[in-house]
Amino acid sequence: MQVFNAFFKVLRSKLGLALIYIPVFIAMTIGLTFADNGGGVFEQERLNVCIFDEDATPLSSALCDFIGKRNDLVPLENDRDVIIDALYYGCVDYVLTIKSGYADKLSVGKTDELYESMRMHDTYSTVYMTQMLNEYANTVSAYIAGGNDAITAAGKAGEAMLKDAEVNTAKFDDNSGAVLTSTAALYFRFLVYALIGLTMSTLCPVLLAMSRKDIRYRTNCSGIRPNSYTLQILAGCVIYIIAIWAVFVAIGAVMNGGVFEGAQWIAVLNSFVFMLFTTMLTIFVSSFDPSINIINIITQVISIGMCFLSGVFIDQSMLGEGVLSAARFLPAYWYIRVNRMLEGSEPFDQNTLVLSIAIELGFAVVLAFMTLLIRRVRYGGMTVHKAQTSAACITE
Amino acid sequence: MKNSVVKIDNLVKRYGDLTALDHLSLDIAEGEVFGLLGPNGSGKTTTINCLLSLLTYDKGDIELFGKKMSPTAYNIKKEIGVIMQNVAVFDELTVYENIDYFCGLYINDKAQRKQYVDEAVKFVGLEEFLKSRPKKLSGGLLRRLNIACGIAHKPKLIILDEPTVAVDPQSRNKILEGIEQLNREGATVIYTSHYMEEVEQICTRIAIMDKGKKIAEGTKDELKRMIRNTETMNIEIIDLPDEVRSKISVLPHVYNTEYDGSKLTVYCSGGKHNLTRVLGVLQEHELGFGRVYSELPTLNDVFLEITGKALRDKED
Repeated sequence: MQVFNAFFKVLRSKLGLALIYIPVFIAMTIGLTFADNGGGVFEQERLNVCIFDEDATPLSSALCDFIGKRNDLVPLENDRDVIIDALYYGCVDYVLTIKSGYADKLSVGKTDELYESMRMHDTYSTVYMTQMLNEYANTVSAYIAGGNDAITAAGKAGEAMLKDAEVNTAKFDDNSGAVLTSTAALYFRFLVYALIGLTMSTLCPVLLAMSRKDIRYRTNCSGIRPNSYTLQILAGCVIYIIAIWAVFVAIGAVMNGGVFEGAQWIAVLNSFVFMLFTTMLTIFVSSFDPSINIINIITQVISIGMCFLSGVFIDQSMLGEGVLSAARFLPAYWYIRVNRMLEGSEPFDQNTLVLSIAIELGFAVVLAFMTLLIRRVRYGGMTVHKAQTSAACITE
Repeated sequence: MKNSVVKIDNLVKRYGDLTALDHLSLDIAEGEVFGLLGPNGSGKTTTINCLLSLLTYDKGDIELFGKKMSPTAYNIKKEIGVIMQNVAVFDELTVYENIDYFCGLYINDKAQRKQYVDEAVKFVGLEEFLKSRPKKLSGGLLRRLNIACGIAHKPKLIILDEPTVAVDPQSRNKILEGIEQLNREGATVIYTSHYMEEVEQICTRIAIMDKGKKIAEGTKDELKRMIRNTETMNIEIIDLPDEVRSKISVLPHVYNTEYDGSKLTVYCSGGKHNLTRVLGVLQEHELGFGRVYSELPTLNDVFLEITGKALRDKED
């Protein structure tokens, strides 16, 4: 088991990357899960507003009450330095001065130069505040013009403007048939990226090290049988990928809120089949003896590209038909199809589910055959003697 | 009569139209340090690869330890240690792990392997670097690690394919001393090189190869006796008249002279007192001369005379 042991010793030197990948991936998943938990309802932001009422009339008091219902009123000393400090340190977002003569002007329908304001930055909220004040003045003015007295007009204007328009975020899917919890579903969706990234970035360098030309030459000179050498490396690969997969499934169980039950195991099976695909992809890529830099580039291109096209980062329901047609040639698409059924975004259909998993498996098998073919071409054949011939020729 | 460890008979290896080995035959006895000497591309490495059954060949037979060598002759392979020109170690493993790994390809027993690895480490003097990774080692130390990986399992036959290429003189001497020690401990050594000084220093028998053919074989003295030249004299002299050079050229045992305006080179074949006679001619004509030195023939002279070209490439 010398080769097997060496495989894990080499792997140990590459695991630093894996140890970074796993917590980053988990943090990202958890972050996205909570980011998605807004309940689908918009709520207006409350500002810290300071009002200096220089008019001090019932009409200006009505305005103060109106502003106070949507914002938090903050008392400040009417001193320029104090105000600037408060704005600078973010204690207050908006400083409004209701100018003297506000009530008189508004009563005769004049709506300009009613206020003065100070703010640090023109954020959406502060701009909205300014617009709201103008709108309030216009509304009051309109009510007065309609024959209401000033106090009644202010009351009606405030009442009208405080009415909320109900806003809900659009949900593209109905999750009523969900098998997985939303957190677990999101976790298993992003697992695609983690599995590709982690497997390729750790396993590829190990396979390259184990099959480096000089090492292969020296190994071929030794008493070890080539089949034994290959089998020991394969055994190392299998144990490593199962270990990674088991870790991710265990974390998935935590995300799911406990041990998987019933149809939830389909997510586990789906991830295992996809793991087989990523392993074969890794072995396939390493057959070309690329450099570490090339591996990093390939890993990023494949993982990010496949995730974008297949609906990992962007839900499949939001992707165009052209993109989805192209994505059908990627195993991640079929993985996500299964995942969507489990999260209730797609109707659960057993035939589609089996077909999707079979297609993922098919991709793995095709890659295995392509790997054998490439090795046959690169190393001049599958027989021991010819494989060794190639290794020997390297030193010529 | 010692047992034959390596027997190559009439070996032919072709790459398309190129004949890499042309009816090569070698017989290497137990305990020998056998040198394969030849310029780059002469077929040394091809011979080694055929010997190890890493290359198929078109014709001929190879026997190691009296048994026919084949790609699946794992019992024979276990008795061979190979040290190549390139350092073949894992960058990811420590010095100790590397030696242990390659030793483990031959020795399964853990206790025995540990002992062998410890001995190999001591042999190459890497005790202080056991936990270092190869990238932290200097070029010379790397070569020593490469050798340790090749000999840790105590092979009966050690094949060294140009192990001193691009190695500093100090490390080179250590490597050569190590090879001699391995031979004293009972290993048969095949040493390929295009450095004639190394081959002269350590090899008990030498085969000179060129264009896939063995052009000469024997001990270094036997090889030198094969050629005409026995002594080369160099005399620093300015303005040597042609008539004097002509007189020297016809002296007994002198078969060639060369003069470049400042140095006269006289090639002799056999005989005694050649230098005295040459200097006598110069004194007779009252010609002053500077430094005078005489050289015995080298393997390069052997190669030069047999093939008409220098053994070593200019850049070496």
